[in-house]
Amino acid sequence: MADRMRKAVLVALGLLWLAPVYLMLANAAKTDDQYGVVSVWQAVGVGGLLENVATAWTRGNISEGVASTALYSVVGPGLAVLVGAAAGFAIVALRLRHGFVWFVVIFAATVLPMQMLLMPLFIGYVETGLYDTRTGMILVYTVISVPFAAFVMRNFFTGIAHQVFEAAVMDGASAWRIFWRIYLPMSTSALVAVFILQATLIWNDLLLGLTLTQSAGTRPVMTALSALQSTYGGSTMPTVLAGGLLVSVPTVVLFLLTQRVFTRGLALGQF
Amino acid sequence: MTTTQAAPALLTPAPAPRRRPGHGYRWSARAFVLPGVLVVAALMYLPFVWTSYLSLTEFNGLGDPEFVGLEKYREMFADAGFLSSLRNTLLWVVGTLVLPVGLGLLLAVLTHGLKGAFWYRLPFLLPYAISGVAVGVIWTFILQSGGALDEALTAVGLGSLVQRWLLDAPLNTIVMIGAATWQGAGVNALLFGIGLQSIPKEPLEAARVDGASGWTLFRTMTWPLLTPLTTVVVGLAIVGSLKQFDIIWAMTKGGPGTSSETLALTMYKETFVSNDYGLGAAIAVFLTVVTVSASVLYLRRQLGDPKGD
Repeated sequence: MADRMRKAVLVALGLLWLAPVYLMLANAAKTDDQYGVVSVWQAVGVGGLLENVATAWTRGNISEGVASTALYSVVGPGLAVLVGAAAGFAIVALRLRHGFVWFVVIFAATVLPMQMLLMPLFIGYVETGLYDTRTGMILVYTVISVPFAAFVMRNFFTGIAHQVFEAAVMDGASAWRIFWRIYLPMSTSALVAVFILQATLIWNDLLLGLTLTQSAGTRPVMTALSALQSTYGGSTMPTVLAGGLLVSVPTVVLFLLTQRVFTRGLALGQF
Repeated sequence: MTTTQAAPALLTPAPAPRRRPGHGYRWSARAFVLPGVLVVAALMYLPFVWTSYLSLTEFNGLGDPEFVGLEKYREMFADAGFLSSLRNTLLWVVGTLVLPVGLGLLLAVLTHGLKGAFWYRLPFLLPYAISGVAVGVIWTFILQSGGALDEALTAVGLGSLVQRWLLDAPLNTIVMIGAATWQGAGVNALLFGIGLQSIPKEPLEAARVDGASGWTLFRTMTWPLLTPLTTVVVGLAIVGSLKQFDIIWAMTKGGPGTSSETLALTMYKETFVSNDYGLGAAIAVFLTVVTVSASVLYLRRQLGDPKGD
């Protein structure tokens, strides 16, 4: 196919793909008086945007959701990369006996659908007092991030020559020191990549929030958005759209800035 | 200890034989792998076993589960709601293979080797970073009765095409697959793009010299060479469509009634809305068996290739 033809098809499809984004922006920016009077396809400036965002932020409990989720999606993956890296280090550098078996034990957990875990997590969380707590949410988000972190870090450490480890051993360094001072600093790029991918995953999570939290102070942001949407009647469509816009900005910006990381992560089958 | 080990190594010019680190490090190895194994065992494998057990019980969340054998599975397969949910799930799997995967391949082929390919792909990639819930919010707004789509159709004189998009089955499932396509097609294009780039140039050139071009070239050369990546994309798409929860929850909550429920939603509702834990667990086990079988498709490849980074 000629290049010009290809470009024409791509531009047409691309415009079609941007239409929902346009609709979201145009209508999140309408005041209550404008919405329903002006066609949804027509943009009328940004008069209502700030007010709609503010309404979603306060009345929709998005503000508390953002605070909780920011905490979850920083601490969760942060702990997970360390736990995953430690496991990878044990298997690759310390040559753990039956290392591959242990690796499969950790990694195979990723194939389980969340549905298989929800019920016991709910019951267990209620029994142990972790239900509807930020600690409980951090714990569960950390754990679901560990298998992928272990997977990537094990692969990454395989690429570090074992002589590095042996040389450090000859210098009398302890395993902990070698891990903390040599292997972790050498693998910053991989650690950051895993962190970004898992942070996005956690930011966008609905199901765990729905199952393991109930109060505004612990509920993650997507669960709050979902609640805002289903109670609309109380909140207008522009408010709901503004809420959707608000919670999408962080991940979209992160994605555009670190697209290469996502490309690599995708090829690893994370999403 | 380390010095005595080092001495012979210095004397032999050949590379030191690969050996396990000393005794102390072997203990450290166990300590290092322990946290990962422990948390995964406690919060993933233990729940897995527990759910499997609960699927053999009658349990409403209160009191003690009562063992009933395979009764819940029998009940599940006799349940009209489950069967409709199973049909919807199947529709999601097939629809996902046709739309986001098919379109992704088309986009990858269209942008391959094109100047400024990044910019042409960008509109398709943008929705990927948006969460399932936010995608659901946008598309509910577009597809609701009298929404943006109906308005656009009427404006261009196609008012007769206006449908109850989210209210009639199986149309509601089909339009939600459309929303998922909007979200996911760009990513598949990206993956196929990587695949196209990694195809060696020589066989393609040779085929071109032999007179193959266009569709023939794609069918006989490119497509077979793309197979390893296609396996991964297809495997991911199947698993993703089986797990799809967020978009459906945000758009219809499985309704009206149960008409757009999939297994992922039916499990959630049976458990946390109807408090039939046994049935919910049976559905979860069924969903897991199907998902794990599909995962094997692409995982075999990933695990067999430790340098996949």
